[in-house]
Amino acid sequence: MKNFNAKYQPVITLLCRLLLGSVLLVAGALKAFKPDESAGAVAAYKILPTNLAHLIGYALPWLEIAIGILLIIGLSTRFAAIVGTAVMIIFIAAIVSVWARGILIDCGCFGGGGEVDPSKASEAHRAYLMEILRDLGLALTGAYLYFFPYGRLSIEKPLQNIEEQ
Amino acid sequence: MAKQAKATKSSGGDNFTRWLVIGMVTLVVATGAIFSVVGQKSKANESFSILKDFKVGPTVASTVDDANGAGITFSNGAAKTIDLWEDPQCPVCNTFEQANGEFIDDLVRTKKANVVYHVVSFLGNESVAAANAAYCAADEGRYLDFHKAMYLVQPVLENSGFYSTENLIKIGSYAGLTTSTFSDCVTKGSKLDKVRAAYESMTKYKVQGTPTVFFNGKLWERKNNAFLLEEFTAAFEAS
Repeated sequence: MKNFNAKYQPVITLLCRLLLGSVLLVAGALKAFKPDESAGAVAAYKILPTNLAHLIGYALPWLEIAIGILLIIGLSTRFAAIVGTAVMIIFIAAIVSVWARGILIDCGCFGGGGEVDPSKASEAHRAYLMEILRDLGLALTGAYLYFFPYGRLSIEKPLQNIEEQ
Repeated sequence: MAKQAKATKSSGGDNFTRWLVIGMVTLVVATGAIFSVVGQKSKANESFSILKDFKVGPTVASTVDDANGAGITFSNGAAKTIDLWEDPQCPVCNTFEQANGEFIDDLVRTKKANVVYHVVSFLGNESVAAANAAYCAADEGRYLDFHKAMYLVQPVLENSGFYSTENLIKIGSYAGLTTSTFSDCVTKGSKLDKVRAAYESMTKYKVQGTPTVFFNGKLWERKNNAFLLEEFTAAFEAS
């Protein structure tokens, strides 16, 4: 395992960057130009006071876009990975929170959002589980990038490698 | 693992670059958020253009009876009574309103039926704010106008910031509510106890969703999902 990682780490890092980065970029881009949807989606979690929730709904897509771009081009990967992982953990906590409180909503992860018809409760609960698993996976790629931020095709290179070359 | 964990120094990892990146990310997020807020404001203004030619009718007095679920009651001695249960933000209520609102308005104004509007608010804070404003409007005899104007501009998504104090007062201004009594009532949430009472009475009347209609206390079981005016009129005539 250690050898495997040593051998393929730059490629794994690249794949993790592209995966987490593109998911964030796409999620952000789909929401950024529909601010009312995004604001409503955050408010539907009923965690924060409505005004604050709206503000986060306006800002979050842009944060996702910024972090997504940083990860894809490989600049300040470690910083971007920390932020990316943190938002994934917040998403997981938010979904667990609505699930535990029995609120039925569309997560609004890639646009949309808001309340779900009570007749679709079982679909909504399955969606919660899938979203938690997906965000958990993405949080893990973020964690990997924290430990191994330097890989193929990135703008940023560790100095050691440059010296070695 | 150890190698990279220690290798914090990199071509792009010096302090200057790090702060530059953090600064740029902050800038992007802030610009984006401001752009969104401004966009929302102009979109709200745009939706108000529907109300430009809005015509208000004569004022109609109503009462609020706490014993009757705190509904806004238009009692005019007619033989028939309609009970309507609506949430200001519920999209289906808007469908109902666009199909039958005019007809019901007419029943009230021509005293052909007693109508009780149960303005409930189970869709969140903005429903509460809008319901409060509706009660404020009722106090000034302008519930019918306010109700109509409010549904005309109803936002597609719930709790998206549209039913703010500012916008509710603006809706009121189109519906003939220009007094400071109204704006104070909206700002202070003076009717929140009525709003709560109306919401809580849902259990008592076994109302599980909105819109729900009762003709003389009997639940209207519609056959068509679109709330056709013919079906509603026929049901009213038959009641």
